[in-house]
Amino acid sequence: MTGPLERVLGAFLTDPAAPRYGYDLMKAAHLPSGTLYPLLARLEQQKLVVSAWETPQEEGERPRKYYRLTGEGIRIARLELAQASARRQRAPTRTGRPVPGSLG
Amino acid sequence: MRGERQLLRFGEYLVRRACQRLPQDLRKERYREWAAELPAILHDPQVRPAPRRAVRMLGYAADTARGAAMAPGTARGRISRTSAALDRLFPVAGLVAVALEIWAIVQAPGDGLNYLRLAWGLLLVAYLIRKRARPAARLTALLGISATLALGVVFLGNVAQAPEDWVNYLFAALLLLPLLVGLPVAWWLRRLQARTGGRHAAPSDPWTF
Repeated sequence: MTGPLERVLGAFLTDPAAPRYGYDLMKAAHLPSGTLYPLLARLEQQKLVVSAWETPQEEGERPRKYYRLTGEGIRIARLELAQASARRQRAPTRTGRPVPGSLG
Repeated sequence: MRGERQLLRFGEYLVRRACQRLPQDLRKERYREWAAELPAILHDPQVRPAPRRAVRMLGYAADTARGAAMAPGTARGRISRTSAALDRLFPVAGLVAVALEIWAIVQAPGDGLNYLRLAWGLLLVAYLIRKRARPAARLTALLGISATLALGVVFLGNVAQAPEDWVNYLFAALLLLPLLVGLPVAWWLRRLQARTGGRHAAPSDPWTF
């Protein structure tokens, strides 16, 4: 799983039931639009995310598109994030380069 | 904010341009979605001061082009065909430039700037030819950097000859400053990648985007 995807899923999982719009996710995941939207498109293609247009509150206001994790999306996102976290914990701590002449 | 409408219109123009790279059936919806975020970014109360919001909005709009280029079914094929045609054309143009520089040296052998231009032309042609054969090789990158440096030095030479012409300063800065900043950053990133053992390389599972 890539870092940007991990951050997007993390942002969704802060409140899995809440629909999120693009700019909101950009801020939460600290990702630029050029990275976020292709990710959302793929997640939607895989049916892990669904999208819906909001109903404008005021006349002339442009409706925004909201995204929400599906049930399957929540399950997979939790699993993937847990696995990523476990992988990080398993990874050995690096102590830098060995000193020349040492056994490291 | 002053000029808000113009800013929004410019942002919309950038988004529209980005959407033109998408397949026909996606364009309208993506434009609707991406353009709807522009006023929200421009009025985001969490971002201050207002010029920062404007920069953020324009950055958002400009970056949608990158997102559109990565979308499935885009016009990437068309772009790569154009790029391939240009790749064939540029070495020929470079060779013509080298021939013209040799002619200029024959005409005025005492002008040092002509030799610099010739060196730049030769480096550029070498880079373009090498790029066609081995685009990812280290020598290709070195030739590209050397050609850019040489062109920057040519503009510095122009500055020495015509100090009142601001265009030479601009081009020298545009060519040399990114190199002066970019090369140390690239070196640092390489070191970082070596230290992390390439952990940031793209994995090959279906979650890789």
